[in-house]
Amino acid sequence: MEMNDNPTGERKTKCSDESKCFELLESILDGELQDSGKEVLKDKLAKCQPCFEHYHLEQAIRDVLKTKCTKQAVPTELADLIRRQIQDIK
Amino acid sequence: MSEVQRRKYSQEEKNAIFDGEFMPHIDSMYNFGYRLTFDEDDAKDLVQDTYLKAYRFINSFEQGTNAKAWLFRILKNSFINEYRKKSKQPTKVDYQEVETYYNSDDVHYQSTSDLRAESVKDMLGDEISNALNSLAVDFRTVIILCDLEGFTYEEMAKILDIPIGTVRSRLHRARNLLKEKLQGYAQNMGYNTDVDEENIE
Repeated sequence: MEMNDNPTGERKTKCSDESKCFELLESILDGELQDSGKEVLKDKLAKCQPCFEHYHLEQAIRDVLKTKCTKQAVPTELADLIRRQIQDIK
Repeated sequence: MSEVQRRKYSQEEKNAIFDGEFMPHIDSMYNFGYRLTFDEDDAKDLVQDTYLKAYRFINSFEQGTNAKAWLFRILKNSFINEYRKKSKQPTKVDYQEVETYYNSDDVHYQSTSDLRAESVKDMLGDEISNALNSLAVDFRTVIILCDLEGFTYEEMAKILDIPIGTVRSRLHRARNLLKEKLQGYAQNMGYNTDVDEENIE
């Protein structure tokens, strides 16, 4: 496993409260828990393998969504069309 | 100051708001419209309609507040009230194809250990896009707003008219569904997952 940087040894392989932890990790990734989130995150990633994996998976998914699903080319005439219609109702 | 009795903007102010605060979001608006409808013409109509409404109701926009969230809310409502009503046929494009992938066997999402971050990183844009597009519109919408557009939970709650708690739980469910889809791709494409080799035809 990559980046196994836990100085105290192995992470636990089972998470005692997976669904709650995962939801929390997702909130942290979404930037919803500012400073308090960082401490929680550090702790979970260091101690719990399922949380560690979930966090990295979620991060990878966010990255690919952002880079691969936002490039829909806007038709060039659309902005002009809108401006013309606005002119008409002014 | 009363929120109801808003000031009226002068023509110059209207133009400045429209050009300076509304138009810069046209790319995001179009992308949102396209991912809701899967159709370029429908997306164009939705975006046009949204901008016309935004202009018509510009006095109810408070300068300095989040224009992008305000516009997204109008677009989402237009989609629900008008587009969805008039469109009787099921959504076109790869939807069918994507659906057949998953209907044959129940792919219950259980643990992230089945899907690896590395497999996701290796996936092509089409796979990611199809997985997102295959989600039901309510789930697709929260992922678009959060992950593609970077709205906060609070902004999403306002755009969607739902409580923040619902935003959080809907997002969580949406992401689990998305992972199911991605996991299906990963298995079918022979990426490294814990249950590889079983489902490859």
